Amino acid sequence: MEMTEPITWTCTGCALLCEDIQVYIKDNRVEKVEHACLKGKARVYGCKHTAMSTVDQEEVDVNNAIRQAAEILEEARNPLLYGWSNSTSEAQVAGIELAQTLGACIDSTSSFCQGITINEIINGSVPSCTLDEVREKADVVIYWGADPMSSHPRHLSRYSYFPRGELRQRGYEEDRTAICIDVTQSRTAKICKGMFFSIPPGGDAEFMQALMDGLAGRVPKLSYDFDVKRILELAAVLKKAEFGVIFAGLGLVYSIKEEFDLISEFMSTLNRFSNFFLIPMAGHFNMRGFNHNLHEETGFIHRVGFTKNGPVSGVEYSVVEQLKHGADAVMVVGSDPLASLPLSISRRLKDIPLILVDPCSNLTTRVADVTIPCGVSGIEVGGTAIRLDGKKMDISPLIQGDGLSDEMIVRRIMEEVS
Amino acid sequence: MAFAVALLSRTKQYTECPPLMEEDKYIDSRQKLEIILKPMEGAEETGLIIHDELCSGCGNCVVACPVNVANDPHGSGRGFGPTNEKVIFRVENGKVKAANVKECRRFGKDKILCRACIDPCPTEAIEFV
Amino acid sequence: MALDVGKFIKAPEYDIKIITRRDVFQASVCEEDCFSDECLELSALIVLDAAEMKRMGIQDGANVRLTSIWGSVVVRAMASPREEQKGLGFMVNGPWVNALVSDETPGGIPAFKDIEVKISISKDGMTGIKELFLL
Repeated sequence: MEMTEPITWTCTGCALLCEDIQVYIKDNRVEKVEHACLKGKARVYGCKHTAMSTVDQEEVDVNNAIRQAAEILEEARNPLLYGWSNSTSEAQVAGIELAQTLGACIDSTSSFCQGITINEIINGSVPSCTLDEVREKADVVIYWGADPMSSHPRHLSRYSYFPRGELRQRGYEEDRTAICIDVTQSRTAKICKGMFFSIPPGGDAEFMQALMDGLAGRVPKLSYDFDVKRILELAAVLKKAEFGVIFAGLGLVYSIKEEFDLISEFMSTLNRFSNFFLIPMAGHFNMRGFNHNLHEETGFIHRVGFTKNGPVSGVEYSVVEQLKHGADAVMVVGSDPLASLPLSISRRLKDIPLILVDPCSNLTTRVADVTIPCGVSGIEVGGTAIRLDGKKMDISPLIQGDGLSDEMIVRRIMEEVS
Repeated sequence: MAFAVALLSRTKQYTECPPLMEEDKYIDSRQKLEIILKPMEGAEETGLIIHDELCSGCGNCVVACPVNVANDPHGSGRGFGPTNEKVIFRVENGKVKAANVKECRRFGKDKILCRACIDPCPTEAIEFV
Repeated sequence: MALDVGKFIKAPEYDIKIITRRDVFQASVCEEDCFSDECLELSALIVLDAAEMKRMGIQDGANVRLTSIWGSVVVRAMASPREEQKGLGFMVNGPWVNALVSDETPGGIPAFKDIEVKISISKDGMTGIKELFLL
C-alpha cells in the first residue's frame, strides 16, 4: 500500500498526551497509526456510532438543537454544566464563561477522580514535577494505588521506568527502582516484581504512617498482618533516592480521601530525608486542564457555583450532590455520566432536562432531551490541553470534520442566552 | 539425529521427511509432531512469537530491547517511538510488530538467551519457542 | 409433572467487596462501540481468587448474580491468574458495576472501590445494556 508522509500527532487517548505519534492519512481518513498504544489507536480511529442533532430523540437541524439547549438552560433555576475532561482548554474556558453568564454550577469528572490531588499541587502543599524530569532524573518511582499498565499504557516506556534519561544512562535494571503498592498484583505490579507491596483495601493510610515511622527510625505498627522488615527495607530505599516520584492512583486517593492531609504530611516527612515529588494519574486527556482553567478564573479547581456574590465552591456543588438534589437541568460536554456514575445517582438524569454535547452516541444519548454532535478533540478539533503533570501541550487536528467544535457549540449557546 | 537438531533449530520442517509423510506406520509419530510443533508456527527465525490479542501496544519492549536502544538511541532508547527502520520492535495500530529479527541477540552463532522484551511485557504477549 | 426442586432452592450467597479498576482492552473496545458485544464481554465481568471461587462453588466462566441494596446484575465470573486477597472481587469501571454503587457520597466521591455485594451462582443470562437502563 502506498503511503503518504505521516503527520506527527499528539494523542488525546489519555492524559499522557504522547506527542510522538505518527499518523498516515489518506482522503481525510486515518490509514495507519504508529507508536500509539491500543487506547490511542481506538481514539484516533474514533467511535463507530457518531452522535446526531436531536430534540426529544427526534433528528433536527443543529441550529434547532442549539436553540433548544439555550432555552432549557435559560429556563432552569439551577443548571449544572458537567463533563469537560475530554475537551480542549479553549472549550473549557468557554464553558466556564457560560456558567458565569447563567449563574450555573460547573463541575468536571475530576470531582470524583484526581481533583483532590491536583488541588493540593496547585495550592503548593504537595511538591510535583514534570514527566520529562521523571525520565531524565528519577531513580525511585512508586505506583501507589495506580496501575498505569492498564490505564496509561505508555507511562513506563515513555517516562517513568524504561527509558534512558540524562542521569539514568545505564538502563532501568541498574538505574531505576520501580515500586508498586496496591491491593492486587496488577500488570504494573508484575513489572515491579519483588518491590510489590500488597496491602488490604483501605490500608493505605496505615501503610503511609508505617513508612513514616520507618523513615524516622521507629518500629512501624500496623493493625493488619504485614512483614515489618519489608516496610523498613522500603523506607531505606526511599531514603536513598536521589529523585523520587510517587504516582498517585485512584486506589490511594479514594482510600485516604477523608484524611487527605496525610499526603502532604507524608511528602514533607519523606523530604526531610530525601527528594520526592507526587504526580496525579489523571485519566482523561484534559482533566487537569479544567482544574487549571477554572482555578485561574475563580480560585477553585472544580465544584463551583456562580452566585450573586461571585463564585463559591464546596461539596454541595459537586456533580454527585447536584444530581441528587440540586440541578434542575444539566448540560453534559464530552462525558457519559450514565456509564461512569453510580446508577443510583445518574438515574435522575432521566427526570430532568438533559443536554448532551458529544462526538459519539453513548448511553447518556439515549435519555438526553437534546443532543448536539461535536468534533472529536484532538482529531477534528485543535487547541491546547494540560498533561497529567501540568505541562501545557498543543493539540492540532488530524482531519477535517464536518461538525462544530464543542467550543463553538458552547459559544453559540452563550449567544442565544445572552 | 541431525534431522531432529535441524528441526529444533527450525532450519528444516518435519514435512521435509519423506518416510514420515508417506508411510502409514509413522502416522502416530506425525500426529504427535504436529501437536508438539504447533506453537512454533508463525514464529520468527529466532523463535519469537507475538500474541497479538494480548498486546496493549504499551511499547515497553520497544524501549527495553537492547537492539532497539543501540540502533535508535535517541528514539526508542529515550522512550519515543522508533525513529528509523533498524529497530526490531515498533508499535503499529496499537500492536507491536517485529522486524530485523536477525539482529536479535537470540540469533546467530553468538546468541544469548536475552529476555529484555519478555520480562517488561505486562500481558505476556511475547514468547520465544 | 416432575417438580424441578432446584428451582426453589436458592443458590447460596456470599459477601464480597468489589473494587473497580481500569483495563486497556475494555477501554479500547468500549471507546469504539459501547453497545458492542466485545464491550459487554469485557465489562460485565468479575475477577475473583480461584480458590475462593472453588469454595463458593463458582466455576470459571459461570454467570453470577451480584446484588447490593442499590441494584442487581448478572455478570460472568473469571478466576484470577494470580492469588488474590480473600473476599475481594475486581470489576472494570462501567455501567454494570455502577448499577451496584451506593448513592452515599461522603466528600462528593462515590465508593467506587468499596462496594459491598452478595454473590451467587445464576442461571440467568448476563444483564444486557438495555436491561440495565430499565433498572
